[in-house]
Amino acid sequence: MDFHWTEEQAAFRQKLDDFLRAELPDGWEEFSKHGPASPALTEFARQFCRRLAEGGMLFPHWPKEIGGEGLGPWEQQILAEVMWEWGEPRGGQYMNVNWIGPTLVRYGTEAQKARYLPQIASGEMLWCQGFSEPNSGSDLASLRTRAVLEGDHYRVNGQKIWTSYAGLADTCFLLTRTSDDRKRGITILLVPMDTPGITVRQIPSLIGEGDIHEVFFDDVLVPATQRFGEEGQAWEIIGFLLTNERLGIPRYHLARAALDRAVAMLKQAGDFADAMVRAEAARCAALCEAARTANYAIVQKRVDGLPVGGESSSARFATVMAERDVCAFIVEHVPEALAGASAYLQMHHQRGVVAGIAAGAAEIQLNIIASDVLQLPREPR
Amino acid sequence: MQLSLNEDQTQVLDFVDSLTRPYAAVPMHDTSFALTSDALDGALMDNGFLDVMAVEELGPVTAALVVERLARLPFAVEAAVSSLVRPLVDPELPRPVCVVEESALRKPVRFLKPRASVIVVGPSGVRSFTASEAQVRSAGEEVLYAYPMAYLTDMPADARRHDVSAGEVRRALRVAMAAEAAGLLAGALASVTTYVSERQQFGRPLATFQAMRHRLAEAQVLTNGVYWLALRAAGTGDSGDAAMALLHAQEAAKKVGYDYHQFLGAMGMTLEHPLHLWTYRLKALTSELGGRGANALAAAEAIWG
Ligand SMILES: Cc1cc2nc3c(=O)[nH]c(=O)nc-3n(C[C@H](O)[C@H](O)[C@H](O)COP(=O)(O)OP(=O)(O)OC[C@H]3O[C@@H](n4cnc5c(N)ncnc54)[C@H](O)[C@@H]3O)c2cc1C
Repeated sequence: MDFHWTEEQAAFRQKLDDFLRAELPDGWEEFSKHGPASPALTEFARQFCRRLAEGGMLFPHWPKEIGGEGLGPWEQQILAEVMWEWGEPRGGQYMNVNWIGPTLVRYGTEAQKARYLPQIASGEMLWCQGFSEPNSGSDLASLRTRAVLEGDHYRVNGQKIWTSYAGLADTCFLLTRTSDDRKRGITILLVPMDTPGITVRQIPSLIGEGDIHEVFFDDVLVPATQRFGEEGQAWEIIGFLLTNERLGIPRYHLARAALDRAVAMLKQAGDFADAMVRAEAARCAALCEAARTANYAIVQKRVDGLPVGGESSSARFATVMAERDVCAFIVEHVPEALAGASAYLQMHHQRGVVAGIAAGAAEIQLNIIASDVLQLPREPR
Repeated sequence: MQLSLNEDQTQVLDFVDSLTRPYAAVPMHDTSFALTSDALDGALMDNGFLDVMAVEELGPVTAALVVERLARLPFAVEAAVSSLVRPLVDPELPRPVCVVEESALRKPVRFLKPRASVIVVGPSGVRSFTASEAQVRSAGEEVLYAYPMAYLTDMPADARRHDVSAGEVRRALRVAMAAEAAGLLAGALASVTTYVSERQQFGRPLATFQAMRHRLAEAQVLTNGVYWLALRAAGTGDSGDAAMALLHAQEAAKKVGYDYHQFLGAMGMTLEHPLHLWTYRLKALTSELGGRGANALAAAEAIWG
């Protein structure tokens, strides 16, 4: 074991950092308070991702055949950490990098790959993820948005909710029901968001403007060629993409950066001498680093080509624990951070408080740890 | 020992309930981060509900009961300091009344605005003044707390001195904050239990999952503990009781602030569900008087020296 970065890895992180320092505009921290899905950040990301792509930093971990640099999972993790620490200047395009790209490569038809991969690779495409519904959150397999095949089109009716980026996305990665079989009756459609019959409503949230939406589908006609995978194959594909998505956001890294920033503010105010405050900060740091190492252990499995199971839920919950306590530390000891005194810490709060909910609620992760890692007998149904 | 409400207290709380009934729910389509109402504020003042501490047969326990009850409302009302701290300093101070630690000017102040009364506590004793426009700096549009808040930019040299000691004002402030937290905890808990009893996943109400029931049941225990500690601290006037009450309140606030939003799922991230109106007030209270560590030390000092 070696807990140090190689020279190349350190240089890669440095290169990314330098790039961001040079490319991000003055007042970036203030600007980054706009949520990743806000119109302002989305607009910015379109320019920014193009420049990242030109510099070979949009998909460094992708294979060379599809426009990447062929770097490995560690570099993917470093990339994700640096971007998230800077407030995710890629906006919603981080999803392209983390799971949409790899999923297209694995399951897309040649026509779909030819249509979408170049747009993704040039940093110009924004997707949204139409999974959750008003009555189907944790119980995703109960979803009811219907897609009925009529000749060469599917007719889609139903409603999605919490959809990030929906207001501005080009295409929706949409889960629909094509038969009543709970899991094998779900089918993915790639739906252009400007298709007639789609209505988007923004939901006012405490995590910044433009972040979450309701999306209504009223007799939306989608060409059958836009089906992704086979009918009923969605559950398998989601399994593949969620393992990518779950490790996707290195929240522990921003939590640590926010903690360091909070401590710097306390020091500057002369309030970091108090032993209670210092001990509390150290406890938070330990939680962040415990989460970091749990995540790194999974990156290592990927490097080694080993399957990743319930331990990704364990890493994810470790991250939730870190975010929970860092958010609480800041509120308790640097309360001004959420009242205009620190754009960076406000950005962190708005992104940190969703750690236990977005991309699958924490209690579901705990259930997975209990059954898959601890191998506990299941609750009787 | 006599822990049931006396007739006067029952009557006061009944009056408070009927007066505040129109404010028990969030107005339709309101999605503000902090909810306030001048009409509610005025009605409480006109009916003397914020002055019960000075009434001989009512006193500090009744004042704490009123503060707790009002904090259960989705509306933020400046009741705690006016009811439980102001009488020690000067019962005539115009509302809203804010308390500021001399050494903590970096922190935002709840309910501060021009013409608010500011009580300053510090090594040099207790002083008060009326805030001028120039002494108040707005915290901007994006405050993530469910109280109106602003910053105090400086203190006038000629602020009025008061005879009461800083320790006594801090004790009363701890009681006030604990009583307010007790009501906020109760309001938030009611909001969450309603939601998880109705919301179904996996073919059953969320509230039937034991993982959730236990955490909610624990929250009930904490909420109940804060309620009784706050009332006892009001009743005994003891510094240790006051510090324990606020410590317990801040511990509870930290725990439920995470749990409650968790239990609502993505709904808890919206401004369309009112949960934040309680939890984001509780968050603001966790930093009062230095937070859990400082209040724990104050409690230890008061209890064991
Ligand atoms: C910021 C944000 C962005 C999002 N973006 C998207 C998006 O782009 N696309 C999309 O499709 N979705 C998105 N979501 C939705 C997200 O995937 C869901 O919020 C999540 O799956 C949880 O579902 P829910 O909100 O309906 O909560 P619910 O399923 O109603 O759960 C509420 C609470 O009950 C608990 N619970 C549920 N079942 C059990 C159980 N069996 N045992 C114990 N506890 C249980 C949960 O853990 C949670 O604490 C987003 C959410 C957020 C907050």
